[in-house]
Amino acid sequence: MQETTERIETAEHADSDTTVDAEAAPGWPRSWPLMLLGAAIVPGTVLYLVGKGLQTPAMQAWRTVCLAVTVQALPFLLLGTALSGAINAFVPARVFSLVLPRRPVLAVPVAGMAGVVLPGCECASVPVANSLIGRGVTPAAAFAFLLSAPAINPVVLTATAVAFPGQPAMVAARLLASLATASVMGWLWLWLGRAEWLRPTARHTGHETGASRWREFRAGFQHDFLHAGGFLVVGAMAAATFNVAVPRSVLETFSGSAWLSVLFLAGLAIVLAVCSEADAFVAASLTGFSPVARLAFMVVGPMVDLKLIALQTGTFGRAFALRFSAATVVVAVLSSALIGGALL
Amino acid sequence: MRRPLQITLLVLSGLGLLHIALFTDLYLRYVKEGMRPLLVASGVLLVLLGVADAVSYGRRDKHEEHAPHGESGHGHDHSSAPRVAWLLFLPALSLLLYAPPALGAYTASREPAKAVTHQDAFDPLPATSPIPMTLTDFTLRVQEDRTRAIKGRTVQLSGFVTPGRQRGSWFLTRIIISCCAADAQSVKLRIYGSAPKADTWVSVTGTWHPGGTLGTSSASAALDARSVEEVAKPVNSYTDDLPLTPTR
Repeated sequence: MQETTERIETAEHADSDTTVDAEAAPGWPRSWPLMLLGAAIVPGTVLYLVGKGLQTPAMQAWRTVCLAVTVQALPFLLLGTALSGAINAFVPARVFSLVLPRRPVLAVPVAGMAGVVLPGCECASVPVANSLIGRGVTPAAAFAFLLSAPAINPVVLTATAVAFPGQPAMVAARLLASLATASVMGWLWLWLGRAEWLRPTARHTGHETGASRWREFRAGFQHDFLHAGGFLVVGAMAAATFNVAVPRSVLETFSGSAWLSVLFLAGLAIVLAVCSEADAFVAASLTGFSPVARLAFMVVGPMVDLKLIALQTGTFGRAFALRFSAATVVVAVLSSALIGGALL
Repeated sequence: MRRPLQITLLVLSGLGLLHIALFTDLYLRYVKEGMRPLLVASGVLLVLLGVADAVSYGRRDKHEEHAPHGESGHGHDHSSAPRVAWLLFLPALSLLLYAPPALGAYTASREPAKAVTHQDAFDPLPATSPIPMTLTDFTLRVQEDRTRAIKGRTVQLSGFVTPGRQRGSWFLTRIIISCCAADAQSVKLRIYGSAPKADTWVSVTGTWHPGGTLGTSSASAALDARSVEEVAKPVNSYTDDLPLTPTR
């Protein structure tokens, strides 16, 4: 704190020096001593208020939720960035062309199914998808993987089965609706997507002959983690703000209408940013809502939420993140309405 | 962000995770118990990453004294981390120095009580008195048990205090999480009696407070308190466990 005040003071000195020079100039506000006084008092007051504000229950709850989201996501983010670093440094590009069908239209659903192998929540899949694109996998297939991996892996499906005991249809509906959304989004990208929306991934250039693979792995891992971690904090802050500012009791008012409740729970999934391994339990607790609405909550949540939008913005750029997330919400709501309507 | 700062950040984040998960139980304020091994592993990994980077940074300094600005060839991409990484200092320092407390009365007072699931069959109640019970069990007994076995029985429950809006009653509360504190749900019982301070952990002995029809969902999840004793806060507060103090 002392340091800040000192810094402010030096800044003021600098200011006053320039004002002395500038005083001759016409139009300089006469009130500059007053502004100086303000500059001296305001930061102190702000610091005092912030210090007091940190102690209020709302602020403490905000900090707890913010830290909780970050702490919960960090191990999975590390897993994702480590995998992405490993793909970049150790896996030769030809492996992907062997595994995935040559034609992008077919590669999309295959990549969607491949999401089964990444056990973790959604934070892990963003860096992995990015490194896949860097290794020459067609972006459409990488996006199908990005969307499906957090929703259909065994850990998440088991959690869903536990949260909805005696309702295997819910697990099946979640699996199918998530896969459908992921594939449709992949095909949509093939049809409408433009490469310039994606920030060029200069970094994931794969192994360079002569360089140490281990060093490449470590450098990529570290860079990706710091990058994605920063955006994770942004997302966690946004999610915590909504979590604390919007009391859950407000939700119950929307549970009446069928369509509104689906849209509302989809929106809730976006702002709450609950991790995909836990969202089934949250969905199960929203007892006032129809099964289709709860399915929409579980399909949208792992694919689009504040934390993910922040991570995608950091990884792929804002132009991509906004368009992609908006389209994904629409597709996910439609597919959960259709599949949920048929199965539940 | 400069290289030494990156190293500091990695090590601090790692130490923060180790501090809450390995050296203390603070992590239980944020996530589930099962996350502990993952958090410890992540902490170790981050510290190792930081140390490895510090070593290679130190070596680079020695080798490349003649070219102080350049990292050779390929490493150049990674020499600077994006500015957004600065934000990671917030959780890292917060974990190390100023870990916020577990969610409590503030959160619980803003959420509706978690709905109980349907249950048909109930075991007979034990003969002890008072009967130690969890908040969920008590709510189930009151609202689902057609045999009304709970009627007239003295029970003992524990949780923290959430002030009620009406005078003369307050809520005995437990917050339950399924993954992290962002998905907190609360279980509440209205307690008739004078309210202790908000967020204190108490053990309450009492009988069902008549209201609605016992054994149906119209029954009030409420208790007439006979005695309220302050108890220690449990290490893992996000569970609905039996009362902490054993009955005599």
